[in-house]
Amino acid sequence: MEAPGPAGGPDRRRRSPWVREEALVLAQDQGGPDWFRLLLRAPRIAPLAWPGQFLQVAVRPVATGLPGPAGAPDLAGSDPLLPRPLSICTLDPEGGSLSVVYRVAGRGTALLASARPGERLALLGPLGLSFPDPGGAASRPLHLVGGGLGIPPLACAAAWARAGGRRPQALLGARGAAGLAGAAEVAACGAPVQAVTEDGSAGVRGLVTDVLRERLAPGDEVWSCGPPAMLAAVQRLCAAQGAEAWLCVERAMACGFGVCLGCAVARSDGGGFLRACVDGPVFRAGDVDVAEPRR
Amino acid sequence: MRIMDGPPGARTGAAPLLAVDVAGIRCANPVWAASGCAGYGRELAAAWPLSALGALCVKGTSLEPWRGNPGPRVAETACGMLNAIGLQNPGVDHLLTRDLPWLVRQGTAVVVNIVGRTIEEYAAVARRLGDAPAGAVAGVELNISCPNVREGGLQFGADLGAAAEVTAAVREATSLPLLVKLSPNVTDVAAFAAAVERAGADGVSLINTLLGMRIDVAARRPILANLTGGLSGPACKPVALRMVWEVAGSVSIPVVGIGGIATGLDAAEFLLAGASAVQVGTAIFRDPWAPVRVRDELEAWLRAQGMASAREAVGAGRP
Ligand SMILES: Cc1cc2nc3c(=O)[nH]c(=O)nc-3n(C[C@H](O)[C@H](O)[C@H](O)COP(=O)(O)OP(=O)(O)OC[C@H]3O[C@@H](n4cnc5c(N)ncnc54)[C@H](O)[C@@H]3O)c2cc1C
Ligand SMILES: Cc1cc2nc3c(=O)[nH]c(=O)nc-3n(C[C@H](O)[C@H](O)[C@H](O)COP(=O)(O)O)c2cc1C
Repeated sequence: MEAPGPAGGPDRRRRSPWVREEALVLAQDQGGPDWFRLLLRAPRIAPLAWPGQFLQVAVRPVATGLPGPAGAPDLAGSDPLLPRPLSICTLDPEGGSLSVVYRVAGRGTALLASARPGERLALLGPLGLSFPDPGGAASRPLHLVGGGLGIPPLACAAAWARAGGRRPQALLGARGAAGLAGAAEVAACGAPVQAVTEDGSAGVRGLVTDVLRERLAPGDEVWSCGPPAMLAAVQRLCAAQGAEAWLCVERAMACGFGVCLGCAVARSDGGGFLRACVDGPVFRAGDVDVAEPRR
Repeated sequence: MRIMDGPPGARTGAAPLLAVDVAGIRCANPVWAASGCAGYGRELAAAWPLSALGALCVKGTSLEPWRGNPGPRVAETACGMLNAIGLQNPGVDHLLTRDLPWLVRQGTAVVVNIVGRTIEEYAAVARRLGDAPAGAVAGVELNISCPNVREGGLQFGADLGAAAEVTAAVREATSLPLLVKLSPNVTDVAAFAAAVERAGADGVSLINTLLGMRIDVAARRPILANLTGGLSGPACKPVALRMVWEVAGSVSIPVVGIGGIATGLDAAEFLLAGASAVQVGTAIFRDPWAPVRVRDELEAWLRAQGMASAREAVGAGRP
């Protein structure tokens, strides 16, 4: 299903019907000092998903076979109360599996890190709008620009772009080599990766936008995901260069499917707020003000 | 407590276990969706038919569109969450022209939660609901209890005189069933229930969220841009239940119980305390199917108790 197009050309982002699924943990491994890769068998969700979309993941495995009356107060189930939004990193629709790559940012993700193969995790998804359908313009340069935990969704994005005949190039940044979570997945999905680290411990030293500035030409397309300051820099650069940019914006959220209005993203035209969960997380760069107001 | 009219199914001769009439709002069952937790129904309707709900309380609706607060707007807490949405909504005209015509076709009772900055604005929203086709709006829920806006929230909900005054003005402006949604951020909630009853309310719903906050210790700043927010979810259920108990024991209009309800047995507790119906809010964020599950679990509990009607459970826990 195509999303309704706002001003500024056709909108090629995709939306999916969302479902819930108790996904089987196939594997979980630690990829760096503070991040994990989780491979899930999700035969209902995987075939519906498009790159850029995310899942709401209940961080505690589904309890099975517990005694007690149906409808009893589920106190353990309320702690933590909310599922955690995580982007789809790799996607195998035919095989019915997908992966997420996540940083242990707090209690919820720490609990998730203890999920073991054979356990089941409750998922809701696929949620939100995808990156734009990459097909149709094989020769048009596509830059995938990721920072930190914004890197993982660029893996399946790279695979989608390749399948659409594009030759995506990835620019992936982090503070140091250990923070390049998901960079190997991006490379494995067919995008040549240039790593950029602030401390120079991998790739070139600097910021991804320093390298993007050298590579970017008018009319190029950019898909980007990362911290608000990086997205804002990508947004400015693309506007100045006349490149088309799509930004994946993360906000603290509650429901993930549009009802709570928690994940507000300011519209660039001053006309109030959009929801990261259903109006994004992928937005056309010109439509939103990506800077988080204050934290 | 007011004795309720016959349930809708009575006419057909069926004996609907779950049907209730709450302050003149006829519902297929006593499980409603709470305001601000179900939008205008469209997102949930993608997952299950809204006719499964006893009623849907739409997002707080104002005369003109409201922007809401800047983010961050939500933060999780132990078994609960804080929100400071700030009543972002597209206004009553949008509701009447876009959402209501669709909602009425979904086969659930629609309760419109109304907000305003002044008594005049509240009354004007209620009056505009009179433009809806007859029967489209099942009832009005007067929200005088949002902790996240400077005007139009606790300014009315935490002042006995103002609560009565805005209730009387809205009573004057509409003949629809009128519920007043009470704030827990007061010392004596029963006094507020009594005041709005005297001012013409047909029922009360409670609780709205409890004023709270969280601080990010790394940033040394409050997490919410609004600094404070409203606590909801299972963490607030004991407080909500105690307040429903107090109110049900002191007014003769129906009470709708809200606060942390996530299971059928949670709902049963509220009925036993004296609530005629319940609303499910935050539980929807964790499980979009929560209202349906709560209804089914409540039905199973009523059957196991040998009760012929949900109405039998109302207040049955009171000595
Ligand atoms: C659409 C979307 C996709 C995401 N994809 C990924 C991903 O692929 N990999 C990944 O590691 N992370 C991703 N995140 C961020 C991830 O959801 C948070 O890091 C996680 O919810 C933190 O949970 P916690 O319980 O571990 O930490 P908490 O204790 O809840 O929080 C720890 C810190 O993270 C901040 N935080 C909480 N929620 C969010 C949030 N939703 N976004 C940003 N910061 C938040 C808190 O303010 C706090 O500073 C995504 C977020 C969104 C909205
Ligand atoms: C994100 C969010 C938005 C809310 N918006 C409204 C609102 O617009 N009007 C209102 O009367 N109550 C609003 N509430 C309060 C709920 O309707 C309910 O009274 C409260 O959350 C307690 O119930 P719960 O624990 O089941 O969520 C909101 C609550 C949340 C969490």
